[in-house]
Amino acid sequence: MHSEKQKHDFEPKIIAFVCTWCTYAGADLAGTSRMQYPANVRVLKFPCTGRIDPVFILKAFQQGADGVLVSGCHPGDCHYIAGNFHARRRFAAFRKLLEFVGVDLERLQFSWVSAAEGGKWVEVVSDLTEKVRNMGPMTEFKELALEEQWSGAINTAELKEAYNEI
Amino acid sequence: MTQAIDTTIYAAVSEAIQGEAQRILSAGEVTAIVGYATARRKGSAQPIVITNADDAQKLIFTPACVNNLAVYLTKAKKEIPKQGKIGIVVKGCDLKALAGLMGESQLKREQLYLIGVPCAGVLASTIQPDTQLTADTIAPKCTECDAHLPQGCDFVPAQTPVTPELEKKYAAEIARLEALTPKERWAYWKEQFSKCIKCYACRQVCPFCFCEQCLCDRNKPQMVDTTPRPAGNTAWHIVRAMHLAGRCAGCAECERVCPMDIPLNLLNRKMAKELKELYDYEAGFQVNENGPLNSYTEKDDQSFIK
Repeated sequence: MHSEKQKHDFEPKIIAFVCTWCTYAGADLAGTSRMQYPANVRVLKFPCTGRIDPVFILKAFQQGADGVLVSGCHPGDCHYIAGNFHARRRFAAFRKLLEFVGVDLERLQFSWVSAAEGGKWVEVVSDLTEKVRNMGPMTEFKELALEEQWSGAINTAELKEAYNEI
Repeated sequence: MTQAIDTTIYAAVSEAIQGEAQRILSAGEVTAIVGYATARRKGSAQPIVITNADDAQKLIFTPACVNNLAVYLTKAKKEIPKQGKIGIVVKGCDLKALAGLMGESQLKREQLYLIGVPCAGVLASTIQPDTQLTADTIAPKCTECDAHLPQGCDFVPAQTPVTPELEKKYAAEIARLEALTPKERWAYWKEQFSKCIKCYACRQVCPFCFCEQCLCDRNKPQMVDTTPRPAGNTAWHIVRAMHLAGRCAGCAECERVCPMDIPLNLLNRKMAKELKELYDYEAGFQVNENGPLNSYTEKDDQSFIK
Protein backbone atom coordinates (compact mmCIF):
# COMPACT_ATOMS: atom_id res chain seq x y z
CA MET A 1 0.00 0.00 0.00
CA HIS A 2 2.68 2.49 1.00
CA SER A 3 4.96 3.62 -1.76
CA GLU A 4 8.53 2.64 -1.15
CA LYS A 5 10.45 5.05 1.04
CA GLN A 6 13.27 6.86 -0.66
CA LYS A 7 16.32 8.24 1.06
CA HIS A 8 17.27 11.77 0.04
CA ASP A 9 20.37 13.77 0.89
CA PHE A 10 18.31 16.89 1.40
CA GLU A 11 14.83 17.19 2.82
CA PRO A 12 13.55 20.71 2.11
CA LYS A 13 11.32 22.52 4.55
CA ILE A 14 8.21 23.76 2.81
CA ILE A 15 5.88 26.16 4.60
CA ALA A 16 2.34 26.22 3.25
CA PHE A 17 0.08 29.16 4.09
CA VAL A 18 -3.41 27.94 3.31
CA CYS A 19 -6.92 29.25 3.65
CA THR A 20 -9.15 27.34 6.00
CA TRP A 21 -12.16 27.10 3.68
CA CYS A 22 -10.65 25.59 0.56
CA THR A 23 -7.06 24.44 0.63
CA TYR A 24 -7.05 23.32 4.25
CA ALA A 25 -10.17 21.27 3.53
CA GLY A 26 -8.56 20.05 0.31
CA ALA A 27 -5.48 18.91 2.20
CA ASP A 28 -7.76 17.27 4.73
CA LEU A 29 -9.51 15.46 1.88
CA ALA A 30 -6.15 14.26 0.58
CA GLY A 31 -5.46 12.87 4.05
CA THR A 32 -8.80 11.19 4.57
CA SER A 33 -8.55 9.73 1.08
CA ARG A 34 -5.19 8.20 2.11
CA MET A 35 -3.30 9.91 -0.68
CA GLN A 36 0.47 9.97 -0.27
CA TYR A 37 2.40 13.20 -0.42
CA PRO A 38 5.76 14.41 0.86
CA ALA A 39 5.92 15.08 4.59
CA ASN A 40 8.14 18.11 3.95
CA VAL A 41 5.23 20.48 3.98
CA ARG A 42 4.22 22.32 7.17
CA VAL A 43 0.70 23.63 6.87
CA LEU A 44 -0.34 26.90 8.51
CA LYS A 45 -4.03 27.66 8.48
CA PHE A 46 -5.39 31.15 7.89
CA PRO A 47 -8.95 32.40 7.62
CA CYS A 48 -8.40 33.53 4.03
CA THR A 49 -5.59 34.14 1.53
CA GLY A 50 -6.45 37.81 2.03
CA ARG A 51 -5.11 37.46 5.59
CA ILE A 52 -1.73 36.22 4.40
CA ASP A 53 0.60 39.19 4.67
CA PRO A 54 3.70 39.19 2.44
CA VAL A 55 5.72 39.65 5.62
CA PHE A 56 4.73 36.10 6.64
CA ILE A 57 6.54 34.79 3.58
CA LEU A 58 9.63 36.83 4.46
CA LYS A 59 9.49 35.55 8.01
CA ALA A 60 9.19 31.96 6.78
CA PHE A 61 12.30 32.33 4.65
CA GLN A 62 14.18 33.98 7.51
CA GLN A 63 13.26 31.18 9.88
CA GLY A 64 14.68 28.58 7.54
CA ALA A 65 12.03 27.64 5.00
CA ASP A 66 13.42 26.39 1.70
CA GLY A 67 10.17 26.87 -0.13
CA VAL A 68 6.86 28.61 0.53
CA LEU A 69 3.46 27.67 -0.79
CA VAL A 70 0.48 30.00 -0.61
CA SER A 71 -2.82 28.42 -1.46
CA GLY A 72 -6.49 29.33 -1.23
CA CYS A 73 -9.87 29.24 -2.88
CA HIS A 74 -10.34 29.56 -6.62
CA PRO A 75 -11.32 33.06 -7.77
CA GLY A 76 -15.01 33.54 -7.18
CA ASP A 77 -15.15 30.89 -4.44
CA CYS A 78 -13.84 33.01 -1.57
CA HIS A 79 -15.79 32.57 1.65
CA TYR A 80 -15.34 36.29 2.22
CA ILE A 81 -16.30 37.07 -1.39
CA ALA A 82 -13.19 38.95 -2.50
CA GLY A 83 -10.27 38.01 -0.20
CA ASN A 84 -8.50 35.98 -2.83
CA PHE A 85 -8.92 38.67 -5.50
CA HIS A 86 -7.10 41.12 -3.26
CA ALA A 87 -4.49 38.50 -2.41
CA ARG A 88 -3.93 37.80 -6.09
CA ARG A 89 -2.97 41.41 -6.76
CA ARG A 90 -0.89 41.71 -3.63
CA PHE A 91 1.12 38.59 -4.39
CA ALA A 92 1.56 39.52 -8.04
CA ALA A 93 3.21 42.72 -6.79
CA PHE A 94 5.15 40.98 -4.02
CA ARG A 95 6.61 38.46 -6.47
CA LYS A 96 7.93 41.30 -8.61
CA LEU A 97 9.50 42.93 -5.56
CA LEU A 98 11.18 39.71 -4.41
CA GLU A 99 12.42 39.10 -7.93
CA PHE A 100 13.95 42.58 -8.02
CA VAL A 101 15.67 42.04 -4.68
CA GLY A 102 17.11 38.80 -6.04
CA VAL A 103 15.06 36.00 -4.51
CA ASP A 104 14.60 32.97 -6.75
CA LEU A 105 10.87 32.84 -7.46
CA GLU A 106 11.01 29.10 -8.08
CA ARG A 107 10.89 28.69 -4.32
CA LEU A 108 7.64 30.54 -3.98
CA GLN A 109 4.50 28.87 -5.29
CA PHE A 110 0.94 30.13 -5.39
CA SER A 111 -2.01 27.90 -6.12
CA TRP A 112 -5.76 27.64 -5.97
CA VAL A 113 -6.85 24.35 -4.38
CA SER A 114 -10.52 23.87 -3.60
CA ALA A 115 -11.98 21.67 -0.86
CA ALA A 116 -12.71 19.00 -3.48
CA GLU A 117 -9.21 18.93 -4.99
CA GLY A 118 -7.28 16.57 -2.73
CA GLY A 119 -5.48 15.30 -5.81
CA LYS A 120 -4.40 18.77 -6.85
CA TRP A 121 -3.03 19.46 -3.34
CA VAL A 122 -0.93 16.31 -3.57
CA GLU A 123 0.29 17.33 -6.99
CA VAL A 124 1.16 20.92 -5.97
CA VAL A 125 2.99 19.83 -2.82
CA SER A 126 4.89 17.02 -4.56
CA ASP A 127 5.94 19.27 -7.44
CA LEU A 128 7.14 22.07 -5.19
CA THR A 129 8.99 19.66 -2.88
CA GLU A 130 10.81 18.04 -5.80
CA LYS A 131 11.61 21.40 -7.37
CA VAL A 132 13.03 22.80 -4.13
CA ARG A 133 14.87 19.56 -3.37
CA ASN A 134 16.68 19.88 -6.70
CA MET A 135 17.51 23.52 -5.98
CA GLY A 136 19.06 22.72 -2.61
CA PRO A 137 18.71 24.71 0.61
CA MET A 138 17.68 28.38 0.60
CA THR A 139 20.72 30.08 2.04
CA GLU A 140 20.22 33.77 1.29
CA PHE A 141 18.03 34.77 4.24
CA LYS A 142 19.71 32.37 6.67
CA GLU A 143 23.09 33.86 5.88
CA LEU A 144 21.72 37.33 6.57
CA ALA A 145 20.57 36.25 10.01
CA LEU A 146 24.02 34.91 10.83
CA GLU A 147 25.87 37.94 9.57
CA GLU A 148 26.91 40.82 11.77
CA GLN A 149 26.51 44.35 10.54
CA TRP A 150 30.20 45.02 10.19
CA SER A 151 32.56 42.62 8.50
CA GLY A 152 34.11 41.55 11.81
CA ALA A 153 37.55 41.52 10.28
CA ILE A 154 39.80 42.93 12.99
CA ASN A 155 43.16 42.06 11.50
CA THR A 156 43.13 44.04 8.30
CA ALA A 157 46.31 45.82 7.25
CA GLU A 158 44.77 49.26 7.85
CA LEU A 159 43.64 48.41 11.36
CA LYS A 160 47.02 46.91 12.27
CA GLU A 161 48.79 50.00 11.01
CA ALA A 162 46.45 52.25 12.97
CA TYR A 163 46.97 50.11 16.07
CA ASN A 164 50.74 50.26 15.81
CA GLU A 165 50.62 54.02 15.59
CA ILE A 166 48.84 54.36 18.92
CA MET B 1 30.01 70.27 -20.74
CA THR B 2 26.92 69.43 -18.80
CA GLN B 3 23.57 70.76 -19.80
CA ALA B 4 22.46 73.70 -17.62
CA ILE B 5 18.81 73.88 -16.64
CA ASP B 6 17.06 77.21 -16.85
CA THR B 7 15.81 78.31 -13.43
CA THR B 8 15.40 82.02 -14.19
CA ILE B 9 11.64 81.75 -13.73
CA TYR B 10 12.11 80.82 -10.05
CA ALA B 11 12.55 84.48 -9.07
CA ALA B 12 9.22 85.43 -10.67
CA VAL B 13 7.64 82.32 -9.17
CA SER B 14 8.85 83.34 -5.70
CA GLU B 15 7.38 86.79 -6.16
CA ALA B 16 4.04 85.37 -7.29
CA ILE B 17 3.97 83.03 -4.27
CA GLN B 18 4.69 85.95 -1.94
CA GLY B 19 1.92 88.04 -3.51
CA GLU B 20 -0.61 85.25 -3.25
CA ALA B 21 0.42 84.38 0.31
CA GLN B 22 0.08 88.02 1.32
CA ARG B 23 -3.38 88.17 -0.26
CA ILE B 24 -4.86 84.99 1.22
CA LEU B 25 -3.40 85.57 4.68
CA SER B 26 -4.64 89.14 4.94
CA ALA B 27 -8.03 88.17 3.49
CA GLY B 28 -8.24 85.47 6.12
CA GLU B 29 -8.73 82.71 3.56
CA VAL B 30 -6.16 80.55 5.29
CA THR B 31 -4.86 80.39 8.85
CA ALA B 32 -1.33 79.35 7.94
CA ILE B 33 0.87 78.67 4.95
CA VAL B 34 3.51 75.97 4.75
CA GLY B 35 6.24 76.99 2.36
CA TYR B 36 9.97 77.40 1.88
CA ALA B 37 12.17 80.13 3.31
CA THR B 38 15.84 81.01 3.09
CA ALA B 39 17.97 79.03 5.51
CA ARG B 40 21.26 80.04 7.11
CA ARG B 41 23.58 78.20 4.76
CA LYS B 42 24.25 80.07 1.52
CA GLY B 43 21.65 79.23 -1.12
CA SER B 44 19.83 76.74 1.06
CA ALA B 45 16.16 76.65 1.89
CA GLN B 46 14.11 75.25 4.72
CA PRO B 47 10.44 74.66 5.39
CA ILE B 48 8.58 77.42 7.19
CA VAL B 49 5.06 77.89 8.51
CA ILE B 50 3.78 81.45 8.40
CA THR B 51 0.59 82.72 9.98
CA ASN B 52 1.10 86.44 9.51
CA ALA B 53 0.67 88.31 6.22
CA ASP B 54 3.82 90.33 6.99
CA ASP B 55 5.86 87.15 6.83
CA ALA B 56 4.74 86.41 3.27
CA GLN B 57 7.95 88.06 2.02
CA LYS B 58 9.92 85.21 3.57
CA LEU B 59 8.53 82.67 1.12
CA ILE B 60 10.82 81.67 -1.72
CA PHE B 61 11.23 79.04 -4.35
CA THR B 62 14.73 78.00 -5.48
CA PRO B 63 16.39 74.81 -6.72
CA ALA B 64 17.24 74.13 -3.06
CA CYS B 65 13.54 73.74 -2.11
CA VAL B 66 13.79 69.98 -2.06
CA ASN B 67 11.42 69.05 0.77
CA ASN B 68 8.01 67.55 0.25
CA LEU B 69 5.91 69.72 2.55
CA ALA B 70 2.96 67.31 2.43
CA VAL B 71 4.54 65.49 5.37
CA TYR B 72 3.71 68.46 7.61
CA LEU B 73 0.02 67.70 7.24
CA THR B 74 0.08 64.05 8.35
CA LYS B 75 1.29 61.96 11.28
CA ALA B 76 2.10 63.92 14.41
CA LYS B 77 0.74 67.05 12.75
CA LYS B 78 -2.74 65.61 12.38
CA GLU B 79 -4.34 68.40 14.39
CA ILE B 80 -2.95 71.10 12.09
CA PRO B 81 -5.52 70.77 9.29
CA LYS B 82 -8.22 71.06 11.97
CA GLN B 83 -7.05 74.56 12.84
CA GLY B 84 -8.63 75.89 9.66
CA LYS B 85 -7.73 76.08 6.02
CA ILE B 86 -4.01 75.63 5.42
CA GLY B 87 -2.11 77.00 2.45
CA ILE B 88 0.71 74.83 1.17
CA VAL B 89 3.36 75.39 -1.49
CA VAL B 90 3.60 72.29 -3.65
CA LYS B 91 5.73 71.10 -6.51
CA GLY B 92 4.14 68.64 -8.90
CA CYS B 93 5.60 65.61 -7.11
CA ASP B 94 4.37 66.91 -3.73
CA LEU B 95 0.91 67.47 -5.17
CA LYS B 96 0.80 63.82 -6.22
CA ALA B 97 1.54 62.88 -2.61
CA LEU B 98 -1.25 65.17 -1.41
CA ALA B 99 -3.64 63.63 -3.95
CA GLY B 100 -2.68 60.20 -2.60
CA LEU B 101 -3.33 61.33 0.98
CA MET B 102 -6.72 62.70 -0.03
CA GLY B 103 -7.52 59.39 -1.69
CA GLU B 104 -6.69 57.65 1.58
CA SER B 105 -8.95 60.01 3.55
CA GLN B 106 -6.06 61.59 5.46
CA LEU B 107 -6.82 65.08 4.20
CA LYS B 108 -9.74 66.88 2.65
CA ARG B 109 -9.34 69.08 -0.41
CA GLU B 110 -11.47 71.81 1.16
CA GLN B 111 -9.04 72.03 4.10
CA LEU B 112 -6.24 73.05 1.77
CA TYR B 113 -5.31 76.05 -0.32
CA LEU B 114 -2.84 74.70 -2.86
CA ILE B 115 -0.18 77.02 -4.22
CA GLY B 116 1.33 75.10 -7.12
CA VAL B 117 4.88 75.74 -8.29
CA PRO B 118 5.92 75.55 -11.94
CA CYS B 119 9.12 73.59 -11.32
CA ALA B 120 11.96 72.79 -13.66
CA GLY B 121 13.66 70.64 -11.06
CA VAL B 122 15.48 70.78 -7.73
CA LEU B 123 19.00 69.89 -6.65
CA ALA B 124 20.06 66.38 -5.68
CA SER B 125 20.57 65.77 -1.97
CA THR B 126 24.34 65.36 -2.33
CA ILE B 127 24.85 68.74 -3.98
CA GLN B 128 25.71 72.03 -2.24
CA PRO B 129 22.57 74.21 -2.10
CA ASP B 130 24.03 77.18 -3.98
CA THR B 131 25.05 75.12 -7.03
CA GLN B 132 23.71 75.89 -10.49
CA LEU B 133 21.07 73.38 -11.59
CA THR B 134 22.43 71.21 -14.41
CA ALA B 135 21.78 67.75 -15.82
CA ASP B 136 24.36 66.49 -13.31
CA THR B 137 23.26 68.29 -10.17
CA ILE B 138 19.51 67.81 -10.63
CA ALA B 139 17.74 65.33 -8.32
CA PRO B 140 17.32 61.93 -10.02
CA LYS B 141 13.55 62.10 -9.56
CA CYS B 142 13.43 65.29 -11.63
CA THR B 143 14.95 63.52 -14.63
CA GLU B 144 11.79 61.43 -14.94
CA CYS B 145 9.32 64.13 -13.86
CA ASP B 146 6.03 64.39 -15.72
CA ALA B 147 4.57 66.90 -13.28
CA HIS B 148 6.48 70.12 -13.90
CA LEU B 149 3.22 72.07 -13.94
CA PRO B 150 0.86 71.13 -11.09
CA GLN B 151 -2.79 70.90 -12.01
CA GLY B 152 -5.93 71.42 -9.95
CA CYS B 153 -4.30 73.93 -7.58
CA ASP B 154 -5.99 77.05 -6.27
CA PHE B 155 -3.15 79.23 -7.51
CA VAL B 156 -0.28 78.59 -9.90
CA PRO B 157 2.15 81.34 -10.99
CA ALA B 158 1.86 82.02 -14.73
CA GLN B 159 5.46 81.08 -15.58
CA THR B 160 6.15 77.97 -17.65
CA PRO B 161 9.27 75.98 -16.76
CA VAL B 162 11.74 75.04 -19.47
CA THR B 163 12.20 71.31 -19.11
CA PRO B 164 14.78 69.71 -21.38
CA GLU B 165 14.64 65.98 -21.97
CA LEU B 166 17.14 64.36 -19.55
CA GLU B 167 18.51 60.87 -19.19
CA LYS B 168 16.04 58.96 -16.98
CA LYS B 169 18.27 57.93 -14.10
CA TYR B 170 15.98 55.50 -12.27
CA ALA B 171 14.76 53.82 -15.45
CA ALA B 172 18.37 53.27 -16.50
CA GLU B 173 19.36 51.86 -13.11
CA ILE B 174 16.31 49.57 -12.95
CA ALA B 175 17.08 48.27 -16.43
CA ARG B 176 20.68 47.62 -15.37
CA LEU B 177 19.58 45.65 -12.30
CA GLU B 178 16.93 43.71 -14.17
CA ALA B 179 19.54 42.52 -16.62
CA LEU B 180 21.56 40.95 -13.78
CA THR B 181 21.03 37.40 -12.48
CA PRO B 182 19.02 36.98 -9.25
CA LYS B 183 22.26 36.18 -7.40
CA GLU B 184 23.92 39.38 -8.56
CA ARG B 185 20.84 41.40 -7.66
CA TRP B 186 20.79 39.80 -4.21
CA ALA B 187 24.45 40.69 -3.77
CA TYR B 188 23.73 44.28 -4.81
CA TRP B 189 20.82 44.74 -2.40
CA LYS B 190 22.59 42.88 0.39
CA GLU B 191 25.39 45.40 0.13
CA GLN B 192 22.95 48.32 0.02
CA PHE B 193 20.76 47.12 2.90
CA SER B 194 23.74 46.26 5.07
CA LYS B 195 24.52 49.99 5.16
CA CYS B 196 21.18 50.72 6.85
CA ILE B 197 21.42 52.02 10.40
CA LYS B 198 17.67 51.76 11.04
CA CYS B 199 17.29 55.45 11.75
CA TYR B 200 13.84 55.23 10.11
CA ALA B 201 14.34 58.63 8.52
CA CYS B 202 12.79 57.19 5.36
CA ARG B 203 9.69 56.35 7.35
CA GLN B 204 9.51 59.66 9.19
CA VAL B 205 9.78 61.73 6.04
CA CYS B 206 7.37 59.67 3.95
CA PRO B 207 3.93 61.27 3.65
CA PHE B 208 2.42 57.81 3.22
CA CYS B 209 3.96 56.21 6.33
CA PHE B 210 1.25 57.59 8.60
CA CYS B 211 0.35 54.44 10.58
CA GLU B 212 -0.07 55.20 14.28
CA GLN B 213 1.90 52.07 15.03
CA CYS B 214 4.23 50.72 12.38
CA LEU B 215 4.16 46.98 11.81
CA CYS B 216 7.93 47.05 12.09
CA ASP B 217 7.79 48.51 15.62
CA ARG B 218 5.49 45.85 16.98
CA ASN B 219 7.03 43.11 19.05
CA LYS B 220 4.06 40.87 19.76
CA PRO B 221 4.39 39.24 17.32
CA GLN B 222 7.62 40.65 16.01
CA MET B 223 7.48 40.55 12.22
CA VAL B 224 10.69 42.42 11.48
CA ASP B 225 13.88 42.45 13.54
CA THR B 226 14.39 45.93 14.91
CA THR B 227 18.16 45.72 15.33
CA PRO B 228 20.23 47.29 12.57
CA ARG B 229 21.59 44.00 11.33
CA PRO B 230 21.34 42.57 7.81
CA ALA B 231 18.34 40.28 8.34
CA GLY B 232 16.14 42.95 9.88
CA ASN B 233 17.36 45.61 7.48
CA THR B 234 16.47 43.52 4.45
CA ALA B 235 13.06 42.69 5.86
CA TRP B 236 12.41 46.33 6.74
CA HIS B 237 13.23 47.59 3.27
CA ILE B 238 11.18 44.89 1.56
CA VAL B 239 8.21 45.57 3.85
CA ARG B 240 8.59 49.30 3.32
CA ALA B 241 8.62 48.96 -0.46
CA MET B 242 5.64 46.61 -0.30
CA HIS B 243 3.58 48.93 1.90
CA LEU B 244 4.26 51.83 -0.45
CA ALA B 245 3.54 49.86 -3.61
CA GLY B 246 0.68 51.49 -5.48
CA ARG B 247 0.70 54.47 -3.10
CA CYS B 248 4.12 56.08 -3.48
CA ALA B 249 3.90 59.36 -5.36
CA GLY B 250 7.58 59.41 -6.24
CA CYS B 251 8.72 62.43 -4.24
CA ALA B 252 11.92 60.50 -3.43
CA GLU B 253 12.15 62.02 0.05
CA CYS B 254 13.13 58.61 1.47
CA GLU B 255 16.19 58.57 -0.71
CA ARG B 256 17.02 62.20 -0.04
CA VAL B 257 17.03 61.86 3.74
CA CYS B 258 18.82 58.50 3.87
CA PRO B 259 22.08 59.19 5.69
CA MET B 260 23.61 56.01 4.27
CA ASP B 261 22.63 56.78 0.65
CA ILE B 262 20.63 53.63 0.08
CA PRO B 263 18.82 53.94 -3.27
CA LEU B 264 15.40 53.53 -1.69
CA ASN B 265 13.44 55.20 -4.43
CA LEU B 266 14.73 52.55 -6.82
CA LEU B 267 12.51 50.00 -5.09
CA ASN B 268 9.56 52.38 -5.19
CA ARG B 269 10.09 53.17 -8.89
CA LYS B 270 10.37 49.47 -9.67
CA MET B 271 7.06 48.76 -7.94
CA ALA B 272 5.43 51.72 -9.69
CA LYS B 273 6.66 50.39 -13.01
CA GLU B 274 5.33 46.89 -12.32
CA LEU B 275 1.95 48.16 -11.17
CA LYS B 276 1.71 50.29 -14.28
CA GLU B 277 2.35 47.21 -16.40
CA LEU B 278 0.06 44.93 -14.41
CA TYR B 279 -2.87 47.17 -13.57
CA ASP B 280 -2.27 50.31 -15.62
CA TYR B 281 -2.08 52.45 -12.48
CA GLU B 282 0.07 55.51 -12.02
CA ALA B 283 0.17 58.08 -9.23
CA GLY B 284 -1.13 61.35 -10.59
CA PHE B 285 -2.90 64.59 -9.73
CA GLN B 286 -6.36 63.03 -9.61
CA VAL B 287 -7.67 61.72 -6.29
CA ASN B 288 -8.28 57.96 -6.44
CA GLU B 289 -9.98 56.28 -3.55
CA ASN B 290 -8.87 52.87 -4.74
CA GLY B 291 -5.23 52.21 -5.47
CA PRO B 292 -4.12 49.17 -7.44
CA LEU B 293 -3.61 47.00 -4.36
CA ASN B 294 -6.90 47.70 -2.64
CA SER B 295 -9.07 47.08 -5.65
CA TYR B 296 -9.32 44.18 -8.07
CA THR B 297 -10.95 42.95 -11.22
CA GLU B 298 -12.03 39.40 -11.87
CA LYS B 299 -9.81 39.23 -14.93
CA ASP B 300 -6.51 40.05 -13.18
CA ASP B 301 -3.48 38.16 -14.38
CA GLN B 302 -2.96 34.88 -12.54
CA SER B 303 -0.47 33.18 -14.82
CA PHE B 304 1.84 32.74 -11.81
CA ILE B 305 -0.76 30.80 -9.81
CA LYS B 306 -1.10 27.07 -10.25
